[in-house]
Amino acid sequence: MRTVSAAETAPTSHPWAVHADSLRVKAGPHLAVDGLDLALGTGVHALLGPNGAGKSTLMRALATVVEPVGGTLTLLGVAVNGRADLRRVRRGLGYLPQQFGFYPRFTVREFVEYMAWLKEMPKSAVPAAVQRAVDRVGLSARADARMKTLSGGMLRRAGIAQAIVNDPELLLLDEPTVGLDPEQRLEFRELLRDLGVDSCVLVSTHLVEDVVAACTDVVLVNDGRLVHRGTTDSLIAAGGSGEAGDSPAERGYSALLRRHRAEAGR
Amino acid sequence: MRWLTLYLRSRRVPVALATAVGGMVVMWVLGSAVSDGGPGVKMVVLTVLLLVVVLTATLSGPDEELDRTAARPWPPRRVSHLLAALAVVAGLPFLTHLTGISFGPAGPVIRDAAGLLGLAALSAPLLGAGRAWFVPLGWTLAAAVYPAAGHLLGEILTWQSQAADSTPAAVTAAVLAGSGLIAYASAGPARRTPAEAAL
Amino acid sequence: MSRMLRIELRRSAALGAALVLLLTGGIMCYAAPQRWSSSWMALAMIEREYLVLILPLALAAGAWQGRRESRNGLAELVRSTPRPRPQQVMPILGALGIAVAGGYLAVLAVAAPRIAGTARYLPAAAFAVVAVGVLAVVAAAWLGLAAGRLWPSVAAGPVLALAGLGWLMGFPGIAHGQEWLGALFSPMYGMSQYSDYETVSGRLSAAQAVWLVALVVGGYVLHVAQSRRARAASLLPVALGVAVAIAVMPHDRYLPRAIDRVAQELVCTTDAPKVCVARVHSTLLPEVTPRARQALALLARLPRPPAEAHEDTTTWGRDLPEPRPDPAGIALMTITVDDRGHLASPADLVPQTVTRVLGNQGRCPDGLSWSALRAATYWLVGTEPPAEPGFDDDGEWNDHVGQLWRSLRELPEADALARVTAVREGALRCADLDEMLSGK
Repeated sequence: MRTVSAAETAPTSHPWAVHADSLRVKAGPHLAVDGLDLALGTGVHALLGPNGAGKSTLMRALATVVEPVGGTLTLLGVAVNGRADLRRVRRGLGYLPQQFGFYPRFTVREFVEYMAWLKEMPKSAVPAAVQRAVDRVGLSARADARMKTLSGGMLRRAGIAQAIVNDPELLLLDEPTVGLDPEQRLEFRELLRDLGVDSCVLVSTHLVEDVVAACTDVVLVNDGRLVHRGTTDSLIAAGGSGEAGDSPAERGYSALLRRHRAEAGR
Repeated sequence: MRWLTLYLRSRRVPVALATAVGGMVVMWVLGSAVSDGGPGVKMVVLTVLLLVVVLTATLSGPDEELDRTAARPWPPRRVSHLLAALAVVAGLPFLTHLTGISFGPAGPVIRDAAGLLGLAALSAPLLGAGRAWFVPLGWTLAAAVYPAAGHLLGEILTWQSQAADSTPAAVTAAVLAGSGLIAYASAGPARRTPAEAAL
Repeated sequence: MSRMLRIELRRSAALGAALVLLLTGGIMCYAAPQRWSSSWMALAMIEREYLVLILPLALAAGAWQGRRESRNGLAELVRSTPRPRPQQVMPILGALGIAVAGGYLAVLAVAAPRIAGTARYLPAAAFAVVAVGVLAVVAAAWLGLAAGRLWPSVAAGPVLALAGLGWLMGFPGIAHGQEWLGALFSPMYGMSQYSDYETVSGRLSAAQAVWLVALVVGGYVLHVAQSRRARAASLLPVALGVAVAIAVMPHDRYLPRAIDRVAQELVCTTDAPKVCVARVHSTLLPEVTPRARQALALLARLPRPPAEAHEDTTTWGRDLPEPRPDPAGIALMTITVDDRGHLASPADLVPQTVTRVLGNQGRCPDGLSWSALRAATYWLVGTEPPAEPGFDDDGEWNDHVGQLWRSLRELPEADALARVTAVREGALRCADLDEMLSGK
């Protein structure tokens, strides 16, 4: 038996939470995402790729922080271009940036509350949603501690809490597991699986074992282009025994990248 | 001298120096616009204050904890840093003597520069370099607008705007300069992580 | 929203800013209480003068707070949220605005108890004066907030503070002797009272309120602005406000000191002999009355003695009025208030009043002989003239007064009275009083 999630039964006007067609996004003067085609629906998607592949820039574009310079991008059924009213999209958005900023003097609860307010959540829903988000990331004991007293891992979890406080339809987590200890990472994977039932979760990471454990499929990018798109099993299947890596998934990752580089080099 | 350049850049000295020179130019232009016979005492005091507060930001680097892990001893560099700042703060107004509009006499300028830098250097270990301008600014604004001369307490409390021959003012400035130098050289700026230093 | 406001009040620099304003204003007030002890209006005006320190600090506090977003790297996260920026900034604007306004008002609150027992007359203009001050600090804080966001440097706060101080003190000078312009755009200008009846004209307050409200709006627009064009647009409300303010304000090259005629009106005792003080001093009437009546009793020995004692409510403008004799039948008193709001040196009121009746206004081309007046006064009072401090002649002048007084005392009473009467009449003619006193 399988739980039928709300997202599956609800009528939806947009088949894909994220739909990008030959998307091009600049990071400064540099074209970091260059002609990327991508369609993401409900589930937990891993965004893999070497440093400088354009993962964070893609994340920023999906978070509506930077505007694409070319191609089309549709988020939650709304086309993102200069004239779009992004408010509706942003209400359904959760975002944890790579460089996570916070107000040091706020407590965790206040900070998550503040973010909930910025996300225009209905006032009556805020206190319960904040408590739930803080509970889900396991910060209940430190909910009323000032942010500046938190350790790196706690801060990261506070960041995740603010991202999920509004039960986003599209959740973007840029390297969420940095600073988490092994135990917390296990809990985080559990949380990811849970979140992926109802929403489209895109997790950018370098940790391939997290991908295997918690993600339904994999998006591998390099040089701003899509290298591979498929289930986690397809990533494992791609690796031969001769590739670099200590696990099947890592070997798959190396193999796909090597092949892509070889093709690009031709 | 490569390390010196790197050190200065780590303390954001180029920006601070550019701001200081820019501020001096603005004050000079204002001074020449309003003056009959040069800028008044208030203007000179406020100019010195401006130069000091602009330079206080250089009293610590972006991450004090990282700085403290250095093998090289800090006190000599801290002392040199303060002395160099004093040279800038006292020197820039001195340059105006080359023009028709002079910010000075040199005596009070040096006294105020040393005293205010000392006050900032005294604040840095207590409040952090980012907040070291609080006390010099508040104190000097009040002392410049409402100078009290003629009695001891008044001359000590408003030492910044006293005449060149005021002994209480000179002594106060010397005490502040000396204690600031010692406190900053021995303790360094307050330890704050970059996030905390933000606010 | 209100919850966000509460969080910002607790966690931002708001409380610190309020405290700094309160401390600065409080210290300045209590450093010289005699400057504001006379009335509520004096207190309201003196705090406006202390804007010279308070306003730069509000600017610096705003700039300090304005750096927060960029310093903490929250900008990216905030940009991904739906709430429009005009709403986003409301909690911090509200918190800082409330804090600086509260800080400004708290200064009044800590000063008020000192004069609560003695100050009573509270004109509407005093509220206008305070309101303009509140507007000025809110405008400064919001402007600082916007500036701190645009220039997120540690130096922004102090540099802005210096610029604010320079503006307040320098602008009246830059205004090239156009006093109306200086008073309009420097809300601290002309705020020290020359007399206790002084007020601030409603028109000036209204004009100041107009451009300060425009500045508040401009600060808000600048803080909300996301583009260069929107930032430029923030100049529009300011320009409009300045234009309206200039239109509202009368363009007087020399701004006359506004006098509150109601504060100046006399309030009198119901029983005779009548003693009157200005309304602004009405609570001092019980302190003044016995001394004034004592002076009237002493003066009763003179021919045509004054029957009433009134406070001298003459105010001096830029030009001295033509000298004219004091009204007949009335002894004029100069009421000065001490630093606790009570009658200053009450013991001196009797001889001062007597001297005023004997010497009239004392405005003669060559002056009047002060020593003769003093000797005559103390002959009427019946005590030896105390040494007048402030003369650097080794007491020579005081000895001279003492000699004159003793020689009067040695005369038969009728002769002495005749000479004192002659002094009083001579003063009206600007005659040589020494001659009158020596009976030549």
